[in-house]
Amino acid sequence: MALSSDKKPAQVETTGHVWDGDLREYNNPLPRWWLWTFYATIVFTIVYWIMYPAWPVFKTFTPGLSTLTIEQDGKMVEVPWNSRYLFIQEMQTSPSAVRQREFVEKVSNASFEQIVADPSMLAFAPSYPSLADNEWLWGGSFATISNDLHKGLKGNMPAFPTIQGAALTDLSNHVLSLSGIEVDAASASRGKASFAMCAACHGADGKGNPMLGAPNLTDMAWSNIDVVGASTVDAKRTMIEGVVSKGIQREMPGFANRLTPVEIKMLTVYVHELSGGQ
Amino acid sequence: MTMSTTAGTMAGAKAGSMAGKTAAVEQYNYDIVKKFAIMSLVWGVLGMFAGVWIASELAWPFLNFDVAEITFGRLRPVHTTLVIFGFGGSALFATSYYIVQRTCQARLWGGRWLAEFTFWGWQVGVGAGVILYMLGFTQGREYAEFVWPLDIAIAVVWVTYFLVYTMTLVKRSQPHIYVANWFFMAFILATALLHIFNNLAVPVSFTSLESYSLFSGVQDAMTQWWYGHNAVGFFLTAAFLGMMYYFVPKQAGRPIYSYRLSIVHFWALSFLYMWVGTHHLHWTAIPDWTSTLAATFSILLLLPSWGGMINGVMTLSGAWDKLRTDPIILFMITALSFYGMSTFEGPLMSLKSVNALSHYTDWTVGHVHSGALGWVAMITFGSFYHLIPRLWGVAKGMHSTKLIYVHFWLATIGIVLYISSLWVAGIGQGLMLRAFDEYGNLGYTFIETVTFMHLPYVVRAIGGMFFLAGIILMVYNVYMTIAGAKRSVEVDVTAGSAAVAR
Repeated sequence: MALSSDKKPAQVETTGHVWDGDLREYNNPLPRWWLWTFYATIVFTIVYWIMYPAWPVFKTFTPGLSTLTIEQDGKMVEVPWNSRYLFIQEMQTSPSAVRQREFVEKVSNASFEQIVADPSMLAFAPSYPSLADNEWLWGGSFATISNDLHKGLKGNMPAFPTIQGAALTDLSNHVLSLSGIEVDAASASRGKASFAMCAACHGADGKGNPMLGAPNLTDMAWSNIDVVGASTVDAKRTMIEGVVSKGIQREMPGFANRLTPVEIKMLTVYVHELSGGQ
Repeated sequence: MTMSTTAGTMAGAKAGSMAGKTAAVEQYNYDIVKKFAIMSLVWGVLGMFAGVWIASELAWPFLNFDVAEITFGRLRPVHTTLVIFGFGGSALFATSYYIVQRTCQARLWGGRWLAEFTFWGWQVGVGAGVILYMLGFTQGREYAEFVWPLDIAIAVVWVTYFLVYTMTLVKRSQPHIYVANWFFMAFILATALLHIFNNLAVPVSFTSLESYSLFSGVQDAMTQWWYGHNAVGFFLTAAFLGMMYYFVPKQAGRPIYSYRLSIVHFWALSFLYMWVGTHHLHWTAIPDWTSTLAATFSILLLLPSWGGMINGVMTLSGAWDKLRTDPIILFMITALSFYGMSTFEGPLMSLKSVNALSHYTDWTVGHVHSGALGWVAMITFGSFYHLIPRLWGVAKGMHSTKLIYVHFWLATIGIVLYISSLWVAGIGQGLMLRAFDEYGNLGYTFIETVTFMHLPYVVRAIGGMFFLAGIILMVYNVYMTIAGAKRSVEVDVTAGSAAVAR
């Protein structure tokens, strides 16, 4: 290694100049590896210039040999490489863009009935809890409603991506069994063990906890997923499995700075009376 | 020993048997060097404190205490200005004035007052600038936040610096110009060009501190980053290479490894740096060909940058035994290593595909600090530990060698914590911002990236605290060295001895 040789410098002459008493310079040749690596970067650069837009020439520039294939008016066409075409190509072919397009197409082509039958199409449709069913996620007293309207709410169920396969099926069956839905009893009782984790928020009996906004799982009031609407038990269970693996994040903004205290007071009563209140 | 040779040369020139120190005072203007060196340390402590403070604000946001003047947005330019222009700038004034005089064997041109003007002009400029930032007056151009009246004042100071420096070179009594001076010349000339063109602006009125840039849109962005990156290239690289080319061979007591390499890498560096600024603007509205040129010239810049590192390391290579006994050499070899590392990382990040991940993340911030702390600050510390005892004529060197070791390790640990935590933060943040879920939506919300970065931010702040502790120790060591020098002068005078501190 050139860097580790410390005999070499002594073998060459200095330039003969001396500054400030003892400052001298050897006249060693350029290190070979340095020179050749420098040449390599020059070759890289020239190839880059040949391949891509590089040098301005009057009002235009050298476009480079590189091309991209994009879809234009239903046909595949070859275009010169530039970052705008690259962006278009990414939007047409990158895996995530393709998935997004497929999903949007699927939903736009489906009938309302087909969407009901395949709730995965509602994957990120917003879901708002019903205010008319007298099932209160965060409590339904005047005081709590008023407080929530002032400060807003943040609902957060963590995702449990590590629960998979049979364990996930068992757990989901257990959750369905809490509200009396007929499921594979053996599977549901196996799932009861892993429900211990859920019990921290939903309670051992699954009746929920309004302090945390954890919903009652026994009352058939589903605000995020349409368990009641799903036609088969398998479809119902798939929904539960989705929630367990991905978690839920929901937010209601606070209105303390947007509505007057009197408006919030009137609204509190209105929301309370929608379902009779607690 | 280097010390005795230095003393010998100084005394040999004119003063005969009169001790080296007195002769040097007559032959060279050391007063201005001392002033700049001290202010460099003062700004260094303040600037690094500001840095530690804002790093802590990012980790624990309550620290801005809802006081507008000390929020992150206002303190950030205070930090960068104090460390780049206050600490780095003053260190460059000090060392360049010292080196140009000693390698030209000529006293600084322009008499006492011209050099003095550059000192007061620079200090007042930096001080006024940062106070105005805290009050909310800024041009909003990164590393060029000074408002227009200060820009004009700084331009005048800089042109004076240029005159003092070049005229000293002109009246040198050495036939050849030493390599360190080429680098300082390139730095002074390029900085003048950069400062003046980037700050061309139309003031709102003569009584207003606000102004509008002369350029607009893409041209404005490209002008700004032509300036911004060459501030790195000429202010923080070329000039500190000048420092390296003098203090490394001096401290090692060995000749520079290769004169030829120094010529080739000097011209390659000077030519290539000017092209690369646009790599700060990849994937924006700039034309693609400007992106290509910026990326390719950045790649071309790798080996010329390494030329300086090789010349420094190979100069030290015959003196490896000194690593065991001389902490100043430790500072220098570490500085050169970080210089080599960050000039490899830079071209890598300037490639468009890497930049797509790294840009707008804390990786960039980490990269800058591996250069700024690892290279700029470490080579300055090493050079100052060599310089300070010589300026004040203390033959035995710094007050405490042990404290130099402690400083070295504090600084090195600080840098490692800083850089590695921001690699984690930056690369993680970049990956999160470009992740998609199974439906093609963004995989993470912005706040999730912030939560992720909390721990690395804490580690980064701690790294900064280590580094700050190091420079505070250095200030103590320098103070004791100077105080010791003053005491020994008094003792010698009363004893009637002429051999002051030699």
